[in-house]
Amino acid sequence: MHNSWLVIQREYLERIRSKAFIIMTLLMPVFMGSTILIPAFLSDMKSGVTRHIVLVASNAEIAEAVQKELTTPPAGNAEQRKAAPRYRVEMDSNTSEAERDKLRRDISDGKIDGFLWLSDSNLANRKVVYSAKDVTDFSENIELRNAVHSAVVKRQLGQKGMSEADVESVLEPIDFDSVRIEKGREGASGVAVFLVSFTMVMLLYVNVLVYGFAVMRSIIEEKTSRIMEVLLSSVTAKQLLAGKIIGVGAVGLTQALIWLAIAGALSIPRLGAAHSMLSNVRIPTVGIIAFAVFFLLGYFLYSTMYAALGAMVNSDQEAQQVQWPAMLPIIFSIVLSTPVLQHPNSALAFWTSMVPFFAPILMFVRIMAETPPLWQIALCIVLMLVTTWGLLGLSSRIYRVGILMYGKRPTLPELRRWLRYSG
Amino acid sequence: MVGSVCSFLTNHPKMPAAVELRGIHKTYDNFIAVDHLSLKIREGSVYGLLGPNGAGKTSTIRMMIGITMPDDGELWLFGEKFHREQLQRIGYLPEERGLYKRMKVLDHVVFLGRLHGLSAAESRKRGLDWCERLQIDGWVHKKVEELSKGMQQKVQFIATLLHDPDLLILDEPFSGLDPANVVMLKDIMIELKKAGKTILFSTHRMDQVERLCESICLIDHGRSVLEGDLKRIKARYGKNTIHMQYEGEAPFDHSELIESVNDYGNYVELRLRPGADAQQLLRMACERSRISRFELVEPSLEEIFIDTVKPHA
Repeated sequence: MHNSWLVIQREYLERIRSKAFIIMTLLMPVFMGSTILIPAFLSDMKSGVTRHIVLVASNAEIAEAVQKELTTPPAGNAEQRKAAPRYRVEMDSNTSEAERDKLRRDISDGKIDGFLWLSDSNLANRKVVYSAKDVTDFSENIELRNAVHSAVVKRQLGQKGMSEADVESVLEPIDFDSVRIEKGREGASGVAVFLVSFTMVMLLYVNVLVYGFAVMRSIIEEKTSRIMEVLLSSVTAKQLLAGKIIGVGAVGLTQALIWLAIAGALSIPRLGAAHSMLSNVRIPTVGIIAFAVFFLLGYFLYSTMYAALGAMVNSDQEAQQVQWPAMLPIIFSIVLSTPVLQHPNSALAFWTSMVPFFAPILMFVRIMAETPPLWQIALCIVLMLVTTWGLLGLSSRIYRVGILMYGKRPTLPELRRWLRYSG
Repeated sequence: MVGSVCSFLTNHPKMPAAVELRGIHKTYDNFIAVDHLSLKIREGSVYGLLGPNGAGKTSTIRMMIGITMPDDGELWLFGEKFHREQLQRIGYLPEERGLYKRMKVLDHVVFLGRLHGLSAAESRKRGLDWCERLQIDGWVHKKVEELSKGMQQKVQFIATLLHDPDLLILDEPFSGLDPANVVMLKDIMIELKKAGKTILFSTHRMDQVERLCESICLIDHGRSVLEGDLKRIKARYGKNTIHMQYEGEAPFDHSELIESVNDYGNYVELRLRPGADAQQLLRMACERSRISRFELVEPSLEEIFIDTVKPHA
């Protein structure tokens, strides 16, 4: 045990101290954070810019209604209401083709940003055209469409005799939200469950693969640098393997917990626009526990496979060629994670989450989506432990023989003989 | 004389051997790596394990240090049957040297010292002392990969010697060393021998064995083909080897006097048949070419090696 402990210590400290670890640990949250913050920040920036557009309509009433929709801030939250109106609207009642050409030139010359063509014939056909230099901003297109739509609908309802107040109340938007019920109480909202599950599944997947692969590479390094023989003159192959897997796994867990801690810390203080997106996203405690449990179980299962593969090969290039048996099941479980998340109680979800190679991802997804019966979680964990134990026996036999074999990669019959060697 | 005292000790039944193999046998698939090998290494001696490539030297050593287990036979270390605690008394220098490239020198030395049962503080202290002695003390906080190959070798020796082992197992210790490092390692070995340590040397470099070892075991195809005290082995062969320097024609054709020839062009080493007369060969040679040197000597270990191994090949 003393020897395994020394190996664990070495693996852990050497990795934690390495520049690669520190950079990766810090960069990942920056990367993840910026994928959330940058779009929010950009749209913030854009909201400060006022677009200058021309409303071309022979019907002044319609033009005014649309202008009102565009310049009155929506009945959103306080922050959105505070923001300056995004559009400076100019009216134009000349709907001739000549005017249209002139406006086109104005766009090219940069005098205006765009124009909405609301000629009577267009309105009669219920078809409105927006011309601008760039029309790929979806949010702008949606805003304009909504403004025109709501102006036209309100006007038509008014013409049918409804009062303005009635029209407003009829058109009041309905706020739709789905809420997960847990033990009879309301839990996180549907969007939040999806976002958190998705992020954590990705983290789980990346970490299991990255650290499983790290075990394999470290075995190859010991083989190619030939330090293996020095180590084996005081440590048994089993102690070395156990120490390595535990040490590297501890590094992976440390990293994941640092990330989760950063994510937790970031979701507390207000962070401008990002806050509104993150405010209803809470990482549930059960999620963190399940993450730790399934990361460790998944990591042990996969790293024992990676260890055997590492002992069989002699270089990183060869490792690339043989690592598919370990990659395939985890990629497959990522593919299955979406249907399982949508129907966490289906037969498909149950059976696939009971397969030990898929369980680290799929059982975790099910727990995040809707806590399955306890016996299912227990059965799944037992199955994983049994499989890992069996694999560990096989892997350590391959490892013990393989680490002293240099040269050709073993064929399958050779591998079978390796398993029979006494020592 | 030292030799006679030593042979007295060898034969003394109470004196435990540092290493004793009793019919050790190891096969891989259908390949016999070590074939019922028995040998005894006296405590405090320098012992040479010789043999051509693939003879089973490394397989034998791996069993001595518990990396693999013999299929059959018994292994005794320091007078006790093998158990893993004994490994802390052994220092092993493998043929293929290796260190963690990205680890710092001192950290590495401390790690290997602790694996051999030293405390962290003690490993550190001894490691620094050794680094000072081998003049790499300016490099202890550098990564191994930043060191030159010669310096890495020194780190490897330190790792082998740090826990002050009673038995040193050195697999091809001089291969790949520059002359300065060869002298340094040799000096350390002699010092350790004087301190009563046992040294097992595995090599196919006969010149070094001849100078350093007291006893040898020559193995071929996993079997011991020659074992015992080096002086006695050489004496057994007698002065039956001739070193001859000549000019012109080769001094002889085939002759029933000669058992084997190693011709270098103007210098030849040859061995006489048992009972052949060296004077007769000299007369024959004089008739054919100019002889500038003719010497009757004991065979070198290399000749014994080639001679013993050849018939099996």
